[in-house]
Amino acid sequence: MQPFSYSRARTAAEAVEAIAAGGQGTRFLAGGTTLYDLMKLNVEAPRRVVDVSGLDELADFDTSGESELVFGALAKMSDVASDERLIRDYPALSESLWKAASQQLRNMASLGGNLLQRTRCAYFRFGEPFQCNKRKPGSGCAAIGGIDRGHALLGGSEHCIATYPGDWAVALAAFDAVVDVLGPKGRRSIPLQELHREPGDSPDIETTLAPDELILRIRVPATDAGRASTYHKIRDRESYAFALASAAVAVAFEDGAVSEARIAIGGLATRPWRAFEAERSLIGKPLTEEAAKAAGARALEGAKPGHHNAFRIELGARTVADALMIAKARA
Amino acid sequence: MSAAPFPNTARVDAFDKVRGAARYGADRSPPGMLHAALATATIGKGRIESIDTSAARAVPGVRLVLTHEDLASEIKPAGYLMAGGYASNGLQPMIAPEIAWRGQPIAIVVADTLPAAIEAAALVRASFAVEPIAVELSAEGTQTVVQSESQLPKPMYEDIVAGDADKAFAEAAVQVDAVFTTPAQHQNPIELVGTVAEWKDGTLIIHEGTQNAEAMRHGLARQLGLTPEQVQIVSPYCGGGFGQKNSLQIYTPLAAVAARRVDRPVKLVVPRAAVFHNSSFRPASRHRFRLGADKSGKLIAAIHETDSQSSRHDLFPTLYAETTGHMYAIDNFRGRERLVRTDTQAPGYMRAPFEHVAAFTMESCIDEMAYALGKDPVALRLANDAYADPISKKPFSSRHLAECLTRGAAMFGWDKRQMAPGSMRAPDGTQIGWGVAAGSYKAATAPAIARLTLTDQGRAIINVGVHEMGQGIRTALSNVVAAKLGIAPELVEAEIGVTGASPQHLTAGSWGTATAVPAASEAADAMLKALAELGQSDAAGRKPAELLKAAGRPSLSVEIRRKAPGHPDQIFGRLASGLPSAMGPAYPEYVSFSYIAHFVEVRIEPGTRRIRVPRVVSVVDCGRVVSPRTATSQVQGGVVWGIGAALREASEVDPRFGGFLNADIAEYVVPVNADIGSIEVGFIDKPDPRLNEVGVKGLGEVVMVGVAPAIANAIFHATGKRLRDLPIRIEHVLDKGDL
Repeated sequence: MQPFSYSRARTAAEAVEAIAAGGQGTRFLAGGTTLYDLMKLNVEAPRRVVDVSGLDELADFDTSGESELVFGALAKMSDVASDERLIRDYPALSESLWKAASQQLRNMASLGGNLLQRTRCAYFRFGEPFQCNKRKPGSGCAAIGGIDRGHALLGGSEHCIATYPGDWAVALAAFDAVVDVLGPKGRRSIPLQELHREPGDSPDIETTLAPDELILRIRVPATDAGRASTYHKIRDRESYAFALASAAVAVAFEDGAVSEARIAIGGLATRPWRAFEAERSLIGKPLTEEAAKAAGARALEGAKPGHHNAFRIELGARTVADALMIAKARA
Repeated sequence: MSAAPFPNTARVDAFDKVRGAARYGADRSPPGMLHAALATATIGKGRIESIDTSAARAVPGVRLVLTHEDLASEIKPAGYLMAGGYASNGLQPMIAPEIAWRGQPIAIVVADTLPAAIEAAALVRASFAVEPIAVELSAEGTQTVVQSESQLPKPMYEDIVAGDADKAFAEAAVQVDAVFTTPAQHQNPIELVGTVAEWKDGTLIIHEGTQNAEAMRHGLARQLGLTPEQVQIVSPYCGGGFGQKNSLQIYTPLAAVAARRVDRPVKLVVPRAAVFHNSSFRPASRHRFRLGADKSGKLIAAIHETDSQSSRHDLFPTLYAETTGHMYAIDNFRGRERLVRTDTQAPGYMRAPFEHVAAFTMESCIDEMAYALGKDPVALRLANDAYADPISKKPFSSRHLAECLTRGAAMFGWDKRQMAPGSMRAPDGTQIGWGVAAGSYKAATAPAIARLTLTDQGRAIINVGVHEMGQGIRTALSNVVAAKLGIAPELVEAEIGVTGASPQHLTAGSWGTATAVPAASEAADAMLKALAELGQSDAAGRKPAELLKAAGRPSLSVEIRRKAPGHPDQIFGRLASGLPSAMGPAYPEYVSFSYIAHFVEVRIEPGTRRIRVPRVVSVVDCGRVVSPRTATSQVQGGVVWGIGAALREASEVDPRFGGFLNADIAEYVVPVNADIGSIEVGFIDKPDPRLNEVGVKGLGEVVMVGVAPAIANAIFHATGKRLRDLPIRIEHVLDKGDL
């Protein structure tokens, strides 16, 4: 860990000014659960840290709106996870938070920071001697041809197959969430599905956020499909583990046929992955086990296995299928 | 001998532990203390060509940077624990430029603050001459050593043979022949390896959690050119050992030398990733097990051949067949153990090191044999129960395995089991499997010297060689001494884990209780005799403190020496020099093991095939249970370990780089609470008076032996799949097979 200067922002505008003034090597600090972890590993080595954790204007969330749910970027994962309206009306959103990390981490971590959680790829985290284009652009990718059991099957490139590790963003992707950000040039909104980039030939650039932009809040359009939803997460143990495969699913029915279907998958791709084709395959038909299985298979279409992770194609398909049946039971 | 079972008293140190009042090694911060951090090698093998510490030295607050260039003449190797020495590795890093494994320390930095030390350590730059590595059992470039033909001491590391196993197997009417693999695993106690080194008037004081204070003391003396009297080890509590802390760690002398150089106390807490790479671990292994039976179901032959991972520099000897050879009444047995040298730090003893793995192979084959014969797996084990040791033909000191099996079967409801694989299902299609397996672990004994002091205030202080590492030995000692002296357990204080008085022999191999408790009991007997000799005419019914007061004695001390049956008197010399001195399972007159039977239910969901273990029943024969509360906790903890070993834990190795990939406890997945269902524990609680007068055998390791095969057998029962590679994960049951 190298020394860094620390400043505390009082307003969002001040935070953005501070990061613009700080230049390269400046990082926002919110819950600190990822940043500190990676600083201790020397993967992140900021020169300046701008602490935004005291920005009360971003700490609230409101799940009572008619047209949309609004989550301040600094709302705590644990607070939002246990919101009763969210549990009742959008169980997928609540479950995606409950099933992430541990209670201690959820108590610290912020919703906005969680969107930007970086990959768990060991070759990324543990530094030398591993090549990693994400950590050190141009050095190569040790994960390709390595122990890739947890690596991405979708959205990878010859330069990087690191899995996007988060759960919350996957659930948000299913619900067409929008992220409001503030930068030196003012505010803009980014659809969540456009927030994370595929690695392509620049795996070090993980999002479409500019380095000097701050996430202010996350907005989720209200939908009746929220009630019949789930975040189904399959992992190597029952708690405190990253997904081998996960699915955020929501469905609505008219006259026994699917009128709305939302499917996003996690743990399988380099970014939160919306499965539009799989959704379309369900519309207008009864949601049978066979239809759910077919949709699951379709969600994993195009998956490219490495050496140790091929089983997660079938596992991912079954995770989607099971999630659809869980959601249906809630309709 | 204790006629009555011991009462279920609370853990004597529970209150201190939950309040944080119990002080562990790294909790110490003597005045003026500085902080240390390590820089480690990024190559898998080779040689340091040059090392540049200038950037590290320039970090504000840095006091000292040491590399192999500084230490060659200052530290000598302590020798490998299994080769007459004291350390976890015979190769002491940082006294030569050679690198034998990735992650080996290349520099130690001492600074005013921990952040400065960490920052500086990351700035140490080395260039290496790199050599090719071989880190997996099957890799090209490994070297295979046949243990029986090696330099390892005999007869201890002779292959175990009885009858003619190859001939008997070839003629067996029913044969099982299977290959098993198990991965490298790491102990991962919550307490990291950490040391606080302090020099006072030429004496080195080390605060560090350990299972073997006496080896640390003698090893450090050897390394630093001191007398053992100039070294003191303070380890009243160890925050989990599981074999990882069974010897002198390679870091401790580095902290000691650093403290001497800066003339200040130095604290070095080793980060988890570095512990993964420099402390011991369970070696990867491969086994071929053959089991033959006649048509009636009598087992007539077993052949157990093993390949076990070792390091280049130290041979970690194995005793897999010590479990499988003595387990059942099989007249023809042949073990053959081979060691495979790879480029790694020395592997070592991780809880039930050979027994857990050996039981996985044998008990899986027993289950397979039961199906081949069409016999119930419990009945097959009972039919092949042994009444004498099949290898030596000596009797067992005690053996209640059959009772473990029958009582466990009754507690579990085994009679409701349908034999056919795939025959038990929940309404939602979840496959249910019930599995059983047995386990054993040697009942060993180490020599001990016990000093008991009684004060006229009523306190009793028992000083004996044993370490408190979470197993509850302080409670067991209190229970035994209190019962003998007729005083309350809380009046008994145990002085353990600190060198200088009674030798602090290695606490491992499940011999801690069977060593320290009988010694404490004998000391209490000696105390009762000494009290009687005080000559108080009305002694009967009076408390010891009253007798002392009446005699005008502020305190009274006694000392006894105790050794295992068959130990020569010279064993006390070995004990005093910090070398492992335990005996067992073979004693002159008998052979001693603890036994266990595990019954397991698994449930495998129909879609994503998660394997869950909602309930386990475990019944143990560990002789007399001295501390029911902590013993129950040991069994539950051991079962959790077994579930982890069977379904979760593997240290990932990338053959291109060496070392371990998932070197933290987020990615090395031990079980969490949500993974564990009901664990019901039963004790036979019959004393083994031949082994010692208290009648205790051992408990801490046998508890996990057999859990893994019980789970694998339950998975077979649920799915019809025989899975022989650990850990068993979703990908191994994703394909539902024909059921």
